[in-house]
Amino acid sequence: MINRLSNHRDLFFVFVWRELLIRYKQTFIGVLWALIQPLCMMALFVIVFGHVLNINTNGYPRSLFYFAGLVPWTLFSASVNASINSLTDHRDLITKIYFPRELIIFSRISVFVTDFFISIMLFSGMLFFFDIPFSLTSLWAIPLFILLVLLTASVCLLFATINVYYRDMRLASGFLLQAWFFASPVFYSIDTVSLKMKLLLFLNPLTYIIENFRRVLIEERGIVPWQFAIEASFVMVLFIISYKFFIRCERSFADVI
Amino acid sequence: MSSDKAICFEKVSKVFSKGHTQYGTIRDDLMSFFSKKQKIGLLKKNQFFAIKNLSFSVQKGESVGLYGPNGSGKSTLLKLVANVIAPTYGYIRIKGRIAPLIELGAGFHPDLNGIENIYMNGTILGMTIGEIKSKLDQIVEYSGLSDFISTPVKKYSSGMNLRLGFSIAIHSDADIFLIDEILAVGDEEFKKKSFNSIKKLLYDKKTLLIVSHDIDLLSSITDKIVRLKNGISD
Repeated sequence: MINRLSNHRDLFFVFVWRELLIRYKQTFIGVLWALIQPLCMMALFVIVFGHVLNINTNGYPRSLFYFAGLVPWTLFSASVNASINSLTDHRDLITKIYFPRELIIFSRISVFVTDFFISIMLFSGMLFFFDIPFSLTSLWAIPLFILLVLLTASVCLLFATINVYYRDMRLASGFLLQAWFFASPVFYSIDTVSLKMKLLLFLNPLTYIIENFRRVLIEERGIVPWQFAIEASFVMVLFIISYKFFIRCERSFADVI
Repeated sequence: MSSDKAICFEKVSKVFSKGHTQYGTIRDDLMSFFSKKQKIGLLKKNQFFAIKNLSFSVQKGESVGLYGPNGSGKSTLLKLVANVIAPTYGYIRIKGRIAPLIELGAGFHPDLNGIENIYMNGTILGMTIGEIKSKLDQIVEYSGLSDFISTPVKKYSSGMNLRLGFSIAIHSDADIFLIDEILAVGDEEFKKKSFNSIKKLLYDKKTLLIVSHDIDLLSSITDKIVRLKNGISD
């Protein structure tokens, strides 16, 4: 798997560069969108979930609480949303010439990873503004981020592959992502739900990542190592299975796409 | 297998389905996913052989023409060589970097300009970014599009697309070139230019696989001709 990527390093760079380039072509404010989008979502959350529904945020500033959940969620959902069509969008290339097709998906994800970093910079500014001190616990965000990217890549590989054969995937994805959103602690904290519910919610691998992302960044709570180990091995295995599945199916993409 | 073979087909067959998906139902798809290969000779409803039990080989530096009526499997064969599709049965061995000159410009991104698409297409053809940088001026000059190279490709005419695509491929320094009816398109001047370039490839001892309906042209530039009919070599 690593061989496939290292042999096509330059192609991957060009793909990533192209995705970033076309993202803001023919736009007026360009890269500013990367700042405006998450801020608008955060404002919406503060109004709806904060002021209208009055959901408990553990005593932390609402804007900060929602933003910490939105940043990892957006990386996941936007990547999945953009990847499902990515292979079928490249029909012309796929039926014409060979290259590792996962580069298409990975380059799409890389756009949202870039957005993620821009949001994190914004988030650091907010932490400073709300006077929340930086502590070493925050560094746990790095391994959590890696897990998030691997999980996102697995789901993208699976969904994009299925969509090549069955376009039902595209139609199902809207609902699926919405359900996934409610099953992830983006606008609520797992602390407030019952134990039974907690166990149910932790079946969703994103729950662990988003919840802990928030804990280490604003609540200065550390990570429970054995929980992290379970989550990490689960995501790892999922990634390897998805990638193998993708490579197995790739051979027939041009026949059916 | 001797080491100087660039392309080697061993009893290759390719089965296509006339329907939407390969096999039809989810159950069939799952079964075919878990079983490695379909049993030889068993064709399901709606399936047909695009290539049937074809064996041939091309030596390094040799140029081979593919000749046959429409639907005889010429394009399928090129796609098999390009590794775009996989054979249903049999084995294919390829040695060297391939540049398919098939549907040139099909892979261009409409919102990117000429230069950006040169980098895109060039890296897809296996060139490194450094290689493209050093050949960029040559590629642009050959295509004759110097004045429009910063224009988004969506504003190009089909002829401009073709010229740029051909120019990139010809500069790609591949070992094996797959050429599909390339000489039939473009204006008179560019046709002459591309014909000369293909002759230069022959001179440089590149391996060529050329599809054409023009048997005179094929016999003038190829070392041997494979005649295809209904996926079977005559």
